[in-house]
Amino acid sequence: MNVMKKMTLPKLLNILLPILFGILFLYVWEKNGLHYLMGLKKYQLPVPSQIAKALADNKTQLLSNARYTTAEALIGLIIGSLIGFFTAVMATVFPKWGYGGLTVLSAFNAVPIVALSPVMNNWFGMGMGSKIAVVVVTAMAAMAFNAYRGLNDLKPFSLDLMASYAATRREVFFLLRLPNSIPNILTALKISTTSSMIAAIVSEFFASYAGIGFELSNALKTAKMPLAWAYITVAAIIGIALHFIVSLVETYALKWHVSQK
Amino acid sequence: MNTPEIRIENVSMVYSDNGASVKALDNVSIDIQKGEFISLLGPSGCGKTTLLRIIGDLLQPTSGNVLVCDQTPRQTRMDQKYGIVFQSPVLFDWRTISKNIRLPLEIMKVPREEQNRRIESLLELVGLSKFADHYPHQLSGGMQQRVGIARALAIQPEILLMDEPFSALDEFTREKLNEDVLQIWSKTNKTVVFVTHNIAESVFMSDRVCVLSPHPGRLSAIVDIDLPRPRTKEMRDWPEFNALVAKIRNSFEGV
Repeated sequence: MNVMKKMTLPKLLNILLPILFGILFLYVWEKNGLHYLMGLKKYQLPVPSQIAKALADNKTQLLSNARYTTAEALIGLIIGSLIGFFTAVMATVFPKWGYGGLTVLSAFNAVPIVALSPVMNNWFGMGMGSKIAVVVVTAMAAMAFNAYRGLNDLKPFSLDLMASYAATRREVFFLLRLPNSIPNILTALKISTTSSMIAAIVSEFFASYAGIGFELSNALKTAKMPLAWAYITVAAIIGIALHFIVSLVETYALKWHVSQK
Repeated sequence: MNTPEIRIENVSMVYSDNGASVKALDNVSIDIQKGEFISLLGPSGCGKTTLLRIIGDLLQPTSGNVLVCDQTPRQTRMDQKYGIVFQSPVLFDWRTISKNIRLPLEIMKVPREEQNRRIESLLELVGLSKFADHYPHQLSGGMQQRVGIARALAIQPEILLMDEPFSALDEFTREKLNEDVLQIWSKTNKTVVFVTHNIAESVFMSDRVCVLSPHPGRLSAIVDIDLPRPRTKEMRDWPEFNALVAKIRNSFEGV
């Protein structure tokens, strides 16, 4: 009740309008409006009710494949982010040779996933390992550059301030650089949650035993369009959920930040 | 007279920038006594901030000698005897106001109870007790700079170095903070070196004003400010006050 009282009309509209638009969109889609607009046949684009049925009918299969792909994405995200963060720390603590590490990562990052996936399949086999490897490569660059920026873009005079206290390098790192980098680390995680799902799914297209990408590609090959769209829906929900979790952590961890005003 | 707290002898500073060398300070000598409030005054390019940074061991002079408390600035810095207030408040955004003041005390490993005691009395001193748990972005610029001053005083430094601390503030806030700083100073009796480009501010605050002229930075005059203490804002209208301002302004002519 209290919450409702605080809701002003514009705020309420901010929530209501997108929901209404979403319902309208689904309705138009259900009534073949999209098919009419884009000149598509029903077998090319199933309507929402067909997709919903496919979701319900294949619940077990969808869940186990979703778990498989999410595991790849999350494990890769964590390993990649840790490597990226470690590289950023090295580049900060040992600027002379550490910065070279960042350059190497940026070179890795320039390689498209589509080119990397077959190579990784070749190296690490058709199981989870190769998918995780691709996700690691995509996640580490985002983390390395953002964390490096956070560790080094300090307010003017803040290093002088620490010097005036005769602070050790260790104290400068833990009291100044590390907390200063937290907003950038969260930004990197936000970028990487989305790209990790993409990387994992795309890698599964090439060769895999399971996963959303693998099943999606099979469903497409066998013209099971509602099932394919059910997988797409699941992938979208996971992507949004991961993004939402990081945003939640951000709101909590950055309550001091100007952006939270 | 006692040995000075800060002795600056024939200090010169040359910056080299892409082969071209710029002389920021040319043979400057000043003795500063313990407990004295001294201003370094001059236009941009006179080397006043450079001189302050040399005293605080944030810069090494090209030549000349500086002794602080009978030792090198490096030793004095390592003994954590400096409190520095910078041009911007340099508060850590992720720390509340009281935790910002706690920062140097954590580094100095002051016992926790003593930390709390000092923070409480400093917040009272700068009039921000109500804002202890606020974050910096919730405070105005003037309030943030007060926190900067409280943080500099937290380590109970021998020497307070202030580098144009109020240059980013409006005139009203600046004059108010001038009075506040003098009041704090009269309670704590630190040696203060205060850098400013505002003539009235330097006269209002100081025992002596060191006038620096630019290109290269030279000490062109040291003016004794013999106004009584405590200084009050009414003094800004006194003829003696305005005579001192005029005297200092005139010493810049011909520069």
